[in-house]
Amino acid sequence: MLTLFVPVFLGMMGFAIDLGRLYMARSELKAAANAMALGAASQLIGTDASTEAATARGRLTVENNSGLGNKYDFGGIAVGQTSGSLSSEVAEPQYFSTLAEAVGENGAQTGGSGAHYVRVNIMGETPIVFWGLLSIAQDRKVAIQATAVAGRSAPLCQICGTEPIVVPALDAGDTTDFGFVVGTRYTFGYNCSGQGTPAILPGGGARVDYIVINRLNTETQNFTAESTQLFRSGAAGLPSTTNRALGCFNVNTAETIWVGAEPLACLQASVPALVQNFMCGLAMRFDSTLAGVCSAIPEVDTISAVYTPDTDVADAADYASYTGNGKRIITVPVVDSITNLSAMTTLGFRQFLVQPAQDATTLNAADQNGRFVVTYIGSVAPVRQGSMNGCSQTAGPGKVVLHR
Amino acid sequence: MVEAALFIPILLLLLVGMIELAKVVVAYFSLQKTMYSIARYASSSQGANFCDDADTVITQVKNVVLTGTPEGEGDSLIAGLTASQIQVRLERYAPDSGTLSECACSIDGCDIGAGGLPPDFIVVSIPDGYNVRPVFPLFQVDPIPLRPRIRIPVGGY
Repeated sequence: MLTLFVPVFLGMMGFAIDLGRLYMARSELKAAANAMALGAASQLIGTDASTEAATARGRLTVENNSGLGNKYDFGGIAVGQTSGSLSSEVAEPQYFSTLAEAVGENGAQTGGSGAHYVRVNIMGETPIVFWGLLSIAQDRKVAIQATAVAGRSAPLCQICGTEPIVVPALDAGDTTDFGFVVGTRYTFGYNCSGQGTPAILPGGGARVDYIVINRLNTETQNFTAESTQLFRSGAAGLPSTTNRALGCFNVNTAETIWVGAEPLACLQASVPALVQNFMCGLAMRFDSTLAGVCSAIPEVDTISAVYTPDTDVADAADYASYTGNGKRIITVPVVDSITNLSAMTTLGFRQFLVQPAQDATTLNAADQNGRFVVTYIGSVAPVRQGSMNGCSQTAGPGKVVLHR
Repeated sequence: MVEAALFIPILLLLLVGMIELAKVVVAYFSLQKTMYSIARYASSSQGANFCDDADTVITQVKNVVLTGTPEGEGDSLIAGLTASQIQVRLERYAPDSGTLSECACSIDGCDIGAGGLPPDFIVVSIPDGYNVRPVFPLFQVDPIPLRPRIRIPVGGY
């Protein structure tokens, strides 16, 4: 009896130990795949170069020069590397244009500007002790696989960390693009009153008026000056804050103009100083050298060192050819109208690529009418923060989420 | 019967050993899940300042994952694990060199409270380890420090 029982007992013990180890390895590989997919998806901004950037960004999660890359098998084996007789492989990420294709088994892959979802597959061999007695694991290791799919979410109702300017819808009935045309250039100019609307910029298209809306942060302990706050918002969007009323925008919510940024007469050929402060920040996305007109902004020498320019500051003939890291992309609330500056209701959010001035690699922060050229790109790039709750949107930017 | 009398103690030792081993595996699994949950939650939290040890958002994230409540009321779901044992390392990606490096808590680093920009990645870990001491009859076993770790990109996920 004992001679029969002992082998069975030992076999069950061994089975349990190996199975536990495999489950552990799979959990760690899945976490690594999730991290890689999230990193990759954040770079899918709808350009030809985006999938290459996404692959590189995703692989940073397993980069192990510092010894801190994601690992498996109780943190002992680096993902994507060989350790002794055990190897781990990270398959080339697969890119898809729709979620259905990304989560399906045989979805058609796409590359470049059409990619909005990524599927990551990671394989890792795990050592086993007792299963080696079985035919399925004669070489005392088993390959475990983990898959993750990430990509953009549904259109967001709340977006945080973006630029505090609004533009009016050209066609409020067009819920897809609000009357803007993808790939078309516009000249954003600060709203002014009366006769003598400023001309469009060379290389720019039709004029679109914009308004700086109120996100004055009276809670902050640092950089309390309004002009410094607008400089920071122009350079990298609204600073991150736990107070969503100060750091976010919501669909179907009325916005008010930033006090002190009220439009001047067009014939005056100037904009409020606060608008120029915002332009100074925007110029930092092209060139880290401060323009002369920006030198009066409090603490600007200190804060300007924080911002680095986009990796592509050249004029992008079409958005797909843009090879930068997305710093030139602005996500703007589109409002119903800017005639009533105390009640501009946000209809949705849309994105534009800021272009340099003609024959230059930066924009003119000193433009007397607060003008700069943009290309409308729709809703292709995921935003940093936001929420899907509170409205019903059929189009608009999303954020990166895990889908599987 | 004699063989059974000799063998049963050995079997019992093996059984106890397996149970203790399983406890170590379960502890590691729970810790790894905890690191992952904190990393995901913190990396997607609006306004989180990783450079502030007393940051409300980070404190709440750790409390929710460890105890199930933002206030940190009640016992930790993993016995003996406290928020102070969990470290968050900040990392910044350099596009020019294509490398990751630690991001300092300064204005030109990742201290958003001082005016810096958020990190690109965070690494959540227990640097000093979470000690688990298996109990084997007749044997004295040193505590095993478990050090699970996860690197997660920071963003609106």
